[in-house]
Amino acid sequence: MDLFLQQVLNGLMIGSTYAVVALGFSLVFSVMRVVNMAHPEFFMAGAFGAYLTITYVSRNVVAVFAGGMAVALAVGLVVERIAIRPVRGRYVMIPFIATSGVGIALQYGAERLFGSDPVLIPPVVATVSYGWGPLSVTRMQLVTLGIAGALMGALRYYVRSTKWGRATRAVAERPDVAAAFGVDVDFVSRLTVGISALMAGAAGVAIGLLYTSAWAFMGLLFGLKSFVCMLVAGNRHIEGVMAIGLLLGVLEALVSGYLTSTLRDAVAFGVLVVVLVFKPKGLFGSYDV
Amino acid sequence: MSALLRVSGLEVVYGSVPAVAGVGLEIPAGEIRAILGANGAGKSSTIKAILGLLRPRAGAIEFEGRPIHGLPTHRIHQLGIAWVPEGRQLFSTLTVHENLEMGAFARGGAGLPAKLDEVFALFPRLRERRTQVAGSLSGGEQQMLAIARALMAEPKLLLMDEPSLGLAPKVVQRLFEQIQEINARGLSILMVEQNARQALRIAHYAYLLEVGRLAGEGPPAALAASERVQRVYLGG
Repeated sequence: MDLFLQQVLNGLMIGSTYAVVALGFSLVFSVMRVVNMAHPEFFMAGAFGAYLTITYVSRNVVAVFAGGMAVALAVGLVVERIAIRPVRGRYVMIPFIATSGVGIALQYGAERLFGSDPVLIPPVVATVSYGWGPLSVTRMQLVTLGIAGALMGALRYYVRSTKWGRATRAVAERPDVAAAFGVDVDFVSRLTVGISALMAGAAGVAIGLLYTSAWAFMGLLFGLKSFVCMLVAGNRHIEGVMAIGLLLGVLEALVSGYLTSTLRDAVAFGVLVVVLVFKPKGLFGSYDV
Repeated sequence: MSALLRVSGLEVVYGSVPAVAGVGLEIPAGEIRAILGANGAGKSSTIKAILGLLRPRAGAIEFEGRPIHGLPTHRIHQLGIAWVPEGRQLFSTLTVHENLEMGAFARGGAGLPAKLDEVFALFPRLRERRTQVAGSLSGGEQQMLAIARALMAEPKLLLMDEPSLGLAPKVVQRLFEQIQEINARGLSILMVEQNARQALRIAHYAYLLEVGRLAGEGPPAALAASERVQRVYLGG
């Protein structure tokens, strides 16, 4: 029972970062009908941004997150400009291929810049553990969960309760009508990719700090899992994507704890296959392409 | 007298198919004008060209004497043109209230409660339904909401595309009375309709569109008397 609770707790920590990355993926898809294959590289950019900030600027944890998110945002806006805006609204495969190309360029660009071995990210959060009965969490885990929770809450508030969030939902459903009521759809597109990049960047910083390293291809598996979260949940409800992200983290942690960690990565894709067979539009429904 | 909206020599092409081939029309301030015609006559394409959703291949569109073709759609709206699209096209996952807020998007929040009271006075049913998502409304209520959403923008010109489509005859009757009420408050309206009989009843002037060209125009009485309109549109 103790092992179970501890693994659930560990799973929630990792799952919260899956959820944050998956939310950006699904937000961009539902607003623009673009599968942004470069999205995982925003996550990678965040981790390297943290590394650069620690190396050249500051080891303050707030500064490290801000630096990583800023780098991810810059990369996101470039990707939006060159691979999304020119092809938005075209057949879904076109932005898919354009962003895949930019994603690959970003991976190999990072390999060129930082080498093919992982770079070491020194800890910026004191390695303190907190015990609670038989359970224990590290301070870094709490920071991760706190930041992911804050980002999810902020996104939910933005989408549900602000003027631009409402406009974003309107664009998701009917871009022409939204434009005819004064919404600058290009601006919403930039805003949405920017938000998705900030969130993925924050997750990249968190994972970089948790695993104390960043590497050029770290976005691949992590991005793929977030993509799976979006497909399993469907992209219609952000709460659904959050729930599935957390659930996937917990499932993986339980498989690692009770079976073997080598099977861990098979879980996400196994779940995907089962869900898509029975619910092709995801558990909570999806927008059509 | 200068017109609020003037369209001249408009040509719109879908792929390689001409949808509108040289249409000219104008809306003087304060009038209801109607474009009549069968499916595929180019009525909706004309509306979409005015809104900037379709780029004209040739011709000019002027609003208050200023050329607007070539402006992005959201800028055209900000000049004072609101749209009641064919088939309502509500934001169906947003609530009634949120749809109305989207209508006022370009105006900002100032005066919003007063404007809401005004449209609720015109469509009391919407006040009862304000927290429901728009997709759950009946057809007639959805049409009310589509019109109310456009009114929230406080436009100078209202473009209505097939407002009566899919509504029961009794509802249509009431709807056209409400359109007249809205016009009586000073709002200019350009309406596209297949229901020629109803449209001619309230319009000050009408244009007849056939396969992308103007086939006739005039005040309703003159148009209704013409043998062609009788035969094709009024079933007489």
